[in-house]
Amino acid sequence: MIEFAKEPYPDEQSLSVLNSYVRDWFTKNFNELTPPQKYAFKLISEKRNILITAPTGSGKTMSGFLTIISRLFDYSLKGKLEDKVYCIYISPLRALNNDIHKNLTKPLDEIYDNIVKEKGVEIIKNNIKKVTIGVRTGDTTQQERHKMLVKPPNILVTTPESLAILLNSPKFVENLKTAEYIIIDEIHELANNKRGVHLALSVERLQHVADSRIARVGLGATLFPLEEAAKFLAGYDDGKPRDCIIVDASWSKKLDINVISPAKDLIYTKEDKIEDATYNEINDIIKSSKATLIFTNTRSGTERVVFNLKRRFKYGEDVAAHHSSLSRESRLEVEELLKKGNLKCAVSSTSLELGVDIGSIENVVQLGSPKSVTRAVQRFGRAGHSFKAVAKGEMIILNRDDLVECTIMLDAALKRHLDSFRVPQNALDVLSQHIVGMSLSDKWDVDKALDLVRHAYPYHELRKEDFVYLINYLAGNYVGLESRRVYGKIWYDEKENAFGKRGKYTRVIYMLNLGTIPDEVAVNVFTVSNKWIGNIEEEFLTKLKPGDIFTLGGRLYKFEYARGMKCFVTEAQASSPTIPPWFSEQLPLSYELANEIGEFRANFSGVVSDCIKESKIKTIFGKKSAVPKKADEFLSNFRINDNAKSAIFGYFAEQLYFAKVVPNNKLILVEFTKDVSSDKSYLIFHSLFGRRINDALSRALAIQLGEILDIDIGIMVSDNGFVFSTEEDIDIDKETLDSLVSDVTSGSIVPMLKRNIRKTELMKRRFRHVAARSFMILRNYKGYKITVGRQQVNSQLVLNAAEEIDPNFPIIKEAYREIFNDVMDLPRAEEILAKIRKGEIKYKLIETPVPSPFAHNLVTFGHADVILMKDRKKYLQSLHKLVMERIKSK
Amino acid sequence: MRLTDDVELLDGLPVAFIKSLDAIVVADLHLGYEGVMAKQGLFLPKVNLKKIFTIIKNAINKTQAKTIIVNGDIKNEFSKVDEEEFNELFDFINFVKQLDVSLILIKGNHDNFVDRYKDPFKLKIYQQEAKLGDYLFFHGEELPNDLSSGVKMLIMGHEHPAIGIFNKAGKREKLRCFLFGTFENKSILVLPAMNYFASGTDINMTNKSDLLSPVFKRMNVDEMRAIATGYGSTMDFGTIYMLREAV
Repeated sequence: MIEFAKEPYPDEQSLSVLNSYVRDWFTKNFNELTPPQKYAFKLISEKRNILITAPTGSGKTMSGFLTIISRLFDYSLKGKLEDKVYCIYISPLRALNNDIHKNLTKPLDEIYDNIVKEKGVEIIKNNIKKVTIGVRTGDTTQQERHKMLVKPPNILVTTPESLAILLNSPKFVENLKTAEYIIIDEIHELANNKRGVHLALSVERLQHVADSRIARVGLGATLFPLEEAAKFLAGYDDGKPRDCIIVDASWSKKLDINVISPAKDLIYTKEDKIEDATYNEINDIIKSSKATLIFTNTRSGTERVVFNLKRRFKYGEDVAAHHSSLSRESRLEVEELLKKGNLKCAVSSTSLELGVDIGSIENVVQLGSPKSVTRAVQRFGRAGHSFKAVAKGEMIILNRDDLVECTIMLDAALKRHLDSFRVPQNALDVLSQHIVGMSLSDKWDVDKALDLVRHAYPYHELRKEDFVYLINYLAGNYVGLESRRVYGKIWYDEKENAFGKRGKYTRVIYMLNLGTIPDEVAVNVFTVSNKWIGNIEEEFLTKLKPGDIFTLGGRLYKFEYARGMKCFVTEAQASSPTIPPWFSEQLPLSYELANEIGEFRANFSGVVSDCIKESKIKTIFGKKSAVPKKADEFLSNFRINDNAKSAIFGYFAEQLYFAKVVPNNKLILVEFTKDVSSDKSYLIFHSLFGRRINDALSRALAIQLGEILDIDIGIMVSDNGFVFSTEEDIDIDKETLDSLVSDVTSGSIVPMLKRNIRKTELMKRRFRHVAARSFMILRNYKGYKITVGRQQVNSQLVLNAAEEIDPNFPIIKEAYREIFNDVMDLPRAEEILAKIRKGEIKYKLIETPVPSPFAHNLVTFGHADVILMKDRKKYLQSLHKLVMERIKSK
Repeated sequence: MRLTDDVELLDGLPVAFIKSLDAIVVADLHLGYEGVMAKQGLFLPKVNLKKIFTIIKNAINKTQAKTIIVNGDIKNEFSKVDEEEFNELFDFINFVKQLDVSLILIKGNHDNFVDRYKDPFKLKIYQQEAKLGDYLFFHGEELPNDLSSGVKMLIMGHEHPAIGIFNKAGKREKLRCFLFGTFENKSILVLPAMNYFASGTDINMTNKSDLLSPVFKRMNVDEMRAIATGYGSTMDFGTIYMLREAV
């Protein structure tokens, strides 16, 4: 059963589970137990599976380790500690591994020193050994590895990938049989992705070889639902989740955060002024606190902020940038400086969100929306080093949609409404790897192997037919008998219902190609006449459709086609891009948060509508307008400054005056309108569900509408909705929309989406990743690295050929699964379509002469690039002016 | 599609039929391709041979030809005979036998070692080129030698020609094609590759200097006509020059 820990244990009881040396060391070094420790010491001493979530600085690591260290010293004092592994610690970050090693070496030394002092010669007589710790990662040298094999550490600190390798090392695995505990750190970084899925299988394989039950300890920052994370940690037994107790200490730190709008009017205040106000605000915060951490969401934003702070306020080396494009050395340096308290301010894109200890941060500033409540809580949780401190922070917003979003996000954070995550289920590519791995060490009965696999939460519902299909694939049964010697990685005997290893290269292939993180690489951009222009991220390329216009090096280019790792473009004549840059860096808005914003829209638009009825237009839009009392009262429930109140009220009032309706979570507004600067017609869907859902919805609707009207449709997708555009002269009336909606909601959209996605770059690349993970195209063969470009060309051949054999070939199936469930959120998109069909979510068509205020950020988001900020602003202003003219002329 | 009185390009197939020889001619089968790739760490499902069987059966049914001329690169590997290649070559020869047609091989750059099958399988194998009737067949990695007056048309493979075009949605598509033009006052036909995986080089998007065959150093490829084949039909798309302009 999965349950939440209720009452903390009294401190005496918690300490009584520790042996006296460990207890003495702890009480000498710490004044008190932190919230997670009050639960963890006792529960771990009972060898319960336990999931602990807590913010930075709450003694999380110690809460997981101390009881285990104590147990190991018990063994030692009895003279029973052997050179075997008793505890395995796993974290996804190598840097964190080194940290842990450093942080545990000291207590282990000190505790042992005390024992030595007290016991003297008995140490030798009674064989009282020191508890040892060792790190094993991809960085570990051959020599160290050999040493570790001869004398393994009692506590093994490693990564998911290295654990998988150790499990297949015939000699080392002997040392793992004695394992009693496994600690999985940063579980929030693993539970939602394939790296975690891979680890979940490794843990079950570890349990399979171990002599006794291994107690599992999960550590992490906050995430939701915790039950899902607990299932991921503890696994399944007999189709039911194993016991696990959850200690949720994520909220032990108080949050003191405010949303700040740098201007009252976010449309007409000159951008220089907004920028000045923003930087002055930031500077005030930096000056008033000991150390400040700023998050910007993108790497280019990070660079810009650092540059501006230095230029405007003459900061020197005490302001520094930290993002993933910087070298490892310079990142480590920034972390060191922070720890020592030598930095006034660090600016980060996302890289300082999690992981390594960065010392005492007093204030966290978030520029723009962090897009998810969980992420906001994690980032602001970086402030205030001790668990007793208050996490202080500011969210500074940049436009009106951001403002509404951040207001609700903060509210949700304070109410502890987190967005949910899901563990990917039945990922066939990761499973392929483990089937090969398992076969290397044993001959397996198919049902017994399936049973082991189903212990892992990501596979607890795996269908036997899928498992057998994978085994057949790995056995090379998709080629003739005579070729299986080359194709087969395992043998499979259907009659005997068994499989095992095949061929002398399989072990090498497994060791060199294991892992789930795909090779990604910069894509070179050329003109069609083969002139090199620059490069873009591979993930960005997957978002591009032919005809899309994007910026590169300050100029506009139209995407034509891609060939392997080359992208071909022509210079674009258009005035604005149709797709924002840094797309891959931009985080999608979570569904739960989107939903809460939708509710806010519904509630607040009611309030504003009352205010409008009661007052004259001049008092609302005039120069000296103030937020009406009712609206002010409503907004006072949120932690926002006065500028922000004015901006939000103005935004809603304009929309209501102009369009008579504000879209919300139960009402999709469909707006048919024209572009002011070109001949384009727009059909705007105000569907605030987040980009992952809108991605699926927009494709399905665009395909169908394209068929109804027989035209090509351009799509722009964002979190708050999506926009169809066409240069053809079209007319959308209620009947057309009704038949479009009824077509799309009447059946499954999966076949339609599959056809649409099959030819996209997204499919080509995801298929490549899946084929590489499934060992169908190798990344490394007989010691030769195969370039990403070559892999890409190869994967297209494989995709075509595999489809000839069976469109449901496991590798193809998995690529679609990944796109539909991990890239998009098809299950929820289908839920929404069902709700539309049942009338639970309504839609309403309006025709507007120019885009309504709520559509402005949707039709201009293509301008969101830094370089084009001014153009975007200009365009936005022109749109806004048109709207206001309409309102006032009424 | 009828190319000359004597030569027909079969609809939708990468195959030419020559009436006076009662023969179909194909090139660049690269048998054993998947097996060779598998040894380099790419585990392609095997479809090439199956597809080739279908095409050839189709072509023989349509034409009732008595001979198949393979104009080079029947197999894939350069330097040695791969076991997988041997198996597929064996299957191919048996398949042809069952169709009751005779097989003529012109050796290509990938066809070293084919000789050793000559006697056991009673194959007719020509080195480099063969003059049959009015036609000179040569693979194409070297210039043709016999340009005597008896030769009316040169037929080669090797280049794997295709054309690239954009569809309405801006998506680039590649179509295999024949190239037809004039070389030293004789007409010349370049055959598309038969191999399933060799989607070809889009000639209209490739620099002339990047083309493989030395033949194209002696003639202007832009003046050749591209006759695309696929989707069940074979159509003249005009000169490469025009197609370059169109892109």
